[in-house]
Parts: sequence; C-alpha cells; structure tokens
Amino acid sequence: MSGHAGIATAPARHRRPEPPHRTGGDRVRTVVRGFGEVLLTLGLVALLFLGYELYITNWFSAMKQRDATAALDDRWSNPRGTVDRPVEGDGIAKLRVPAFGPDFDFTVLQGTGADTLASGPGHYVDTAMPGEPGNFGVAGHRVGDGAPFNDLDLLQSCDAVVVETRDTWFVYRVLPLADEAAGWTSGKGATPQCRGVTPLPEPYPEVPGQQIVMPWQGEVINPVPGGSEAQLPPEQQDSLITLTTCHPRFSAEQRLIIHGVLTARYPKDGPRPPALADGLRG
Amino acid sequence: MYAWIWRQLPGPTAVRVVEALLLVAAVVALLLFVVFPWVDPRLPFNDVTTG
Repeated sequence: MSGHAGIATAPARHRRPEPPHRTGGDRVRTVVRGFGEVLLTLGLVALLFLGYELYITNWFSAMKQRDATAALDDRWSNPRGTVDRPVEGDGIAKLRVPAFGPDFDFTVLQGTGADTLASGPGHYVDTAMPGEPGNFGVAGHRVGDGAPFNDLDLLQSCDAVVVETRDTWFVYRVLPLADEAAGWTSGKGATPQCRGVTPLPEPYPEVPGQQIVMPWQGEVINPVPGGSEAQLPPEQQDSLITLTTCHPRFSAEQRLIIHGVLTARYPKDGPRPPALADGLRG
Repeated sequence: MYAWIWRQLPGPTAVRVVEALLLVAAVVALLLFVVFPWVDPRLPFNDVTTG
C-alpha cells in the first residue's frame, strides 16, 4: 500500500483518517467486491439449503412423526375410539420393514399432500386400506423429510412389509422381481420365507416386486397394478401393497415402485408375527 | 457490502462482533424457518407420488 501522497496534513493519531477522495477506480473496485460478496453469499445460502434438505427436514419430520404416532397410539388405546374414515393427516397404520432393522417403524398417515408426507409415509386415499382386497398404496420421501423410503431399492423379493392396524398385523411380502418370475416355484419361491409369494395369476398383468416407472404412471397403485380399474371385481382381488418414492435418489424424474402381496394376518391379541424377527439384510 | 454493514454497526469492536453474529443468526433463522420451507415444495426433486 502506498501512502496518500495528496494529503499534506500530519498523520493524526487516535483519529480515523479522513476518507480519501474516491476515484473512478475505487468505484469499480467497490462494485466488483460487492458482486463477489453477493456470489459468496449465494454459495453459502445454497450450502445451507442443502443442509436443510438433507438433515434439518429430517429433524422437523421426526418431531411430526412422533406426534402422529402418539396420536395414533392414543386413539388405538381408547376403547371408544371410533373407526370413522380418517381425514387427511390422521395416522392410520404402522409400517415396519424388518429387513431395514427393528427401528424402521413409521406411522402411515392418511393422504399424500406435501404436509402429510413431511410427517411420514402417506396413504393414497383412493386405494384400499390395509388388509382389504385391492391395493394399499403408500408414498414416502426418499431424501429429506425423514426419508422413510430411502432404501426402498434394496428390498428383495419375499422381504416382509408388516402393516399394523388397530387390531391386526398384516404381513405383506415383496413379489418376485422381474428376472425371478420365470422358474419361481422351483427357484427362490421354494424357500420358506417365500411361502405365499407367487407371481400374480391371470388376469393380473406382470406385477414385478420392484419396478421403475414414469411419474404419470398412476396405474401402478390401481387394485390391479398396471391394469385398468374394472379388470377384476373387488371380491376376486388379491390384497396387495404398493410403495412409491422418487427415483433416482435426489431426482424426481422417475418413480421407484415396490409391489407386495398379503401372505398372513395375525390378530393383535395373539402373538406378534414371526416376520417381525426377519433378520437384517447381511 | 459486508464492510459497509460492519461500519453501520454501533459500539466498540467486541459489541460489533456480537451484533454481527446476531445478524447472521437472524438471517439463518429467516432462511430455515420461512424461506426454505416455502421454496421446498416448489422444487421438483421431492415428488414421490404417481399419477
């Protein structure tokens, strides 16, 4: 830094120097510096937003999920609790995937609005309720907001998806994957875990355990997944479960879909379903 | 910009540091509790439903 040659007064100690006369160059420097500071600030804000999406929404979501679970437990333990049709945001069931560990335990809420999904997995209101014939459709976040369906892509055929309602445990198991359907009965289908799991019979179209579809393919949550609504009368429909989330992770270009079929039901005044003890995937 | 804000803060340096930290905290809180929750549902990467 060079001295201020134009200033003739003696340097005044303990006093701020008079602001030097601003030149055109100073003004340019100020503008360029301000521009750089704005860019740095935007970068920091973007980083903060990333942290918000990936971590902080999980904290908010965990609080809402806790409240929803407490409200549901309260309703279940109240003997006079009515069984009216739930309204959007009400807890309706608990969802467990033993392959994801014993702490994978989410209260499923009624509806798939943004606020509902920020509290936990949401039930598509027009689809069947747990255990009913038809298709129990559930959507969940894969990134942020608790990310209940973060690892959905890791599910294998015959993995249990256990749904707990007020009085019943429903054990669904993931259908055979697309490349397993041929030779299922002599192959993986023969293992004890896969009892009750077979490729769905006619008139069901091919319903693989896992598929990736485009966002507008709402037919995956139909009572006959991938088929038309009226293909099969309700009393002949299998009880299915369909989980949907975004794909690939961090994107919403496609949807990851898991289909399962009901293989067992246990009244809650009896023993807990053995499927809950299915081990973690090694 | 930041130099200008610093010059507007009253008080000696120690007080200014506290004021600056409070300002940063206020901006971060505004972002986390107001701006980001508003922006979030408008972004395309969180759609998990079909149809």
